[in-house]
Amino acid sequence: MGRFELLASAIVGRSVTIERTQEKCGAWTDGKSIFLGPDASETAVLQCVLVQAALLGAGSFEGEILDRLVRSTKLCRRYLFVEGHRALEALEAILPPSARRLSDPGIAALSKSPSDSLAIASGRQVFANPPEAFGMIRPRQIRRRIVAGGSDSAPPQYQPRSPARELLRDLDDEVEDLFEGPDLVSSPIGGGGAIGRVLKRLFRSRPSSKTGPPGADAPTHRSRRGTRVSGNIGLAPATLPESTSGDAFAPRGLTYPEWDVHRGRYRPDWCTVTPVDSPPSAPVIFTLPNVTGIRRSLSHLGVALERRHRQLQGIDIDLDAVVESRVQTMSGSVPEEAVYLDLVRGRRDLGVLVLLDVSGSSGEPSTGSGTVHEQQRKAAASLTVALAELGDRVALYAFRSQGRTAVQVERMKRFDDRMDATVLGRLGASEPGAYTRLGAAIRHGTWLLARESGVSRRLLVVLSDGFAYDHGYEGAYGEADARRALSEARRLGTGCVCLSIGASTDADKLRRVFGTAAHASVSRFEDLPNVITPLFRFALRAAEAQRRKSQHTIRAKERLALEVRSVA
Amino acid sequence: MSVRPYYVPVATEEQVFKAAFNQNLSILLKGPTGCGKTRFVEAMAHDMQRPLITVACHDDLTTADLVGRFLLMGGETKWVDGPLTRAVREGCICYLDEIVEARQDTTVVLHPLTDYRRQLPIDRLGLTLDAAPGFCLVVSYNPGYQSVLKDLKDSTRQRMVAIEIDFPPAEIEEKVVAHEAGVDPQLASQLVRLGQAIRRLENVGLREVASTRVLIAAGRLVCEGLPLPVAAKAAVTGPLTDDPVVTAGLSELIDAYFEDE
Repeated sequence: MGRFELLASAIVGRSVTIERTQEKCGAWTDGKSIFLGPDASETAVLQCVLVQAALLGAGSFEGEILDRLVRSTKLCRRYLFVEGHRALEALEAILPPSARRLSDPGIAALSKSPSDSLAIASGRQVFANPPEAFGMIRPRQIRRRIVAGGSDSAPPQYQPRSPARELLRDLDDEVEDLFEGPDLVSSPIGGGGAIGRVLKRLFRSRPSSKTGPPGADAPTHRSRRGTRVSGNIGLAPATLPESTSGDAFAPRGLTYPEWDVHRGRYRPDWCTVTPVDSPPSAPVIFTLPNVTGIRRSLSHLGVALERRHRQLQGIDIDLDAVVESRVQTMSGSVPEEAVYLDLVRGRRDLGVLVLLDVSGSSGEPSTGSGTVHEQQRKAAASLTVALAELGDRVALYAFRSQGRTAVQVERMKRFDDRMDATVLGRLGASEPGAYTRLGAAIRHGTWLLARESGVSRRLLVVLSDGFAYDHGYEGAYGEADARRALSEARRLGTGCVCLSIGASTDADKLRRVFGTAAHASVSRFEDLPNVITPLFRFALRAAEAQRRKSQHTIRAKERLALEVRSVA
Repeated sequence: MSVRPYYVPVATEEQVFKAAFNQNLSILLKGPTGCGKTRFVEAMAHDMQRPLITVACHDDLTTADLVGRFLLMGGETKWVDGPLTRAVREGCICYLDEIVEARQDTTVVLHPLTDYRRQLPIDRLGLTLDAAPGFCLVVSYNPGYQSVLKDLKDSTRQRMVAIEIDFPPAEIEEKVVAHEAGVDPQLASQLVRLGQAIRRLENVGLREVASTRVLIAAGRLVCEGLPLPVAAKAAVTGPLTDDPVVTAGLSELIDAYFEDE
């Protein structure tokens, strides 16, 4: 989180980020972020943040005002002068004392509202230039944000950081474009060069338009037609995990078998899963959705009131214990004091691993709002937070793949990690890319659950659009393997819940991929609380039954072995 | 007669409470943590000249904890009244703090008490107590409380008169902080300004916002000679969050508000 971000958010009343730019100009805002020059001193930074946040907080850029401002830079300056003072004065009650030094009550008194300020600014009155701390207004940037869906009135959303390069290119209001002319330096293929554009069109890839230097903008999305994308892949290279003592990963990655439905047998050691650490991400504010509904739905799982006899205290007297206690007293021995009956809540003892599908297909628009990835990410965040708050062991991993030797499972939160802003930051920084080798990811998740959760009731939650696709992992083959992996997990006593949020995959296809595992498809993240309780309950019950059955089988086998030995 | 607990009315809450009390209606107080719900009930109990019995509800609060139970003493069983039974017998104001925390099967025992019957059946004793004059049931409930796992049953809610209490407006809060912490009005206004700013933060990882209570605590630390930023960090930041990132952000915020100190 950047400096003063919380302060700015407090003044505006919603999440606002603060970014440093390399251009030498005053502070400005695009409605979601406040941009500061490179070499401002601490006091200057604070003042700039206060003014820009006050402008946003006081609603200075709403409605038709922007339309007027876009037309004239001079009007912007005059408006900033009047409206800046007005905004500072209007929010006086909540601004820090240092803001008072910035505002001029005389000028503030002229205007009562943003439209007043605009009228005054359009008038003939002579004003000085606004003080340096006021920075500037860039109406086009704000409007672009609104068009991009990040309007002032919209609820706060996850917002990707834009790199400085792209930022500068967007500055069309008062700064000349420093990067005009052909791009001679960057790679012609991945970058924005003329050949690159042609090649890109040729390969039907689209730039991610999000991050990275030229050459790394990663046309990694999968296409439904299976067109091979030849651009460079934007995945972090499989890094070796650090060899800490608590690290459960084998150094080389882990191999898992895969089910070959055509031959009806397993291919041993077929897929290699490489654990990847999230790259140290730039601070991303990922706004946590409201989890109250989900938490309420999950809170009753596995907890029931249990009647306990012979307690030291309780709601009622335990008659049997009392009779015994009396007998003990009469017979001269020391009586038992635990003679009460109590109702005690059972412990749920639940370990949940959330597997988030971050393959390219999740970058597609969802049936609700935003992309499938955004919906799934919200669901992953709220499930993880809700379960962690309920005291369950919970972990969050994301997966994607690039062929059978490169199934990447990214740790966002391990079972032992705290659920904090770092985890949310990692989640916020995740971007869809590459393919989906569902089976290997599920097997790895099951293995992690069994090994690291340390609890007996285990639940694997797969958040995916159900589109199993990778090199040599198409159609019926991939679906059969995913289905198989889920039933293996259940046989090991791990409950499986598959959730598809906002994806357009049809129910038949989901059934083919998720098989008899508890699965549901909802169009919006907000509908999740309604479906998860029965799903989780069903999955846990099925796993419990399976575990009992397998324990029973193991015991029967042991007995049989004993008998055989004794006979021999 | 003892001193009236300090409470500054914000809206019509005092009139509503007194009217409900006189009409034998039960009262549901809604409001965030630390906004003055308990103090309000104390002040009202003083005004109505009734003793106040407060029960802090928790996850495992059972009916027996409220109504009473048999205990084994020597060779005999002895009935011991719970706080609710005592309030019903003696005509006290019974205040159940954070009622949603209690189990739903527990809150059902309140039903016959909160409607026209005003009775408390005690099945273990085989008797039904009629509430003595002056008995009033007050429950508090925090609708936005993050750790709420369950909601209040509709059948329970609808037996009550609701009074909503929120953080007081700045000028009243300043008065409250100044009085409770014993600080001068200027310092109180600085603290309230900080509190108001933190309350505008949403979704940054804060489970609760800065309540009047934590502002008073900060003020009391200042009375002991601590510098304002130190007091604010100890009393406001620490209790609000454990997250290091959010803590750092809040510390910055506090520094920005108290830079002159």
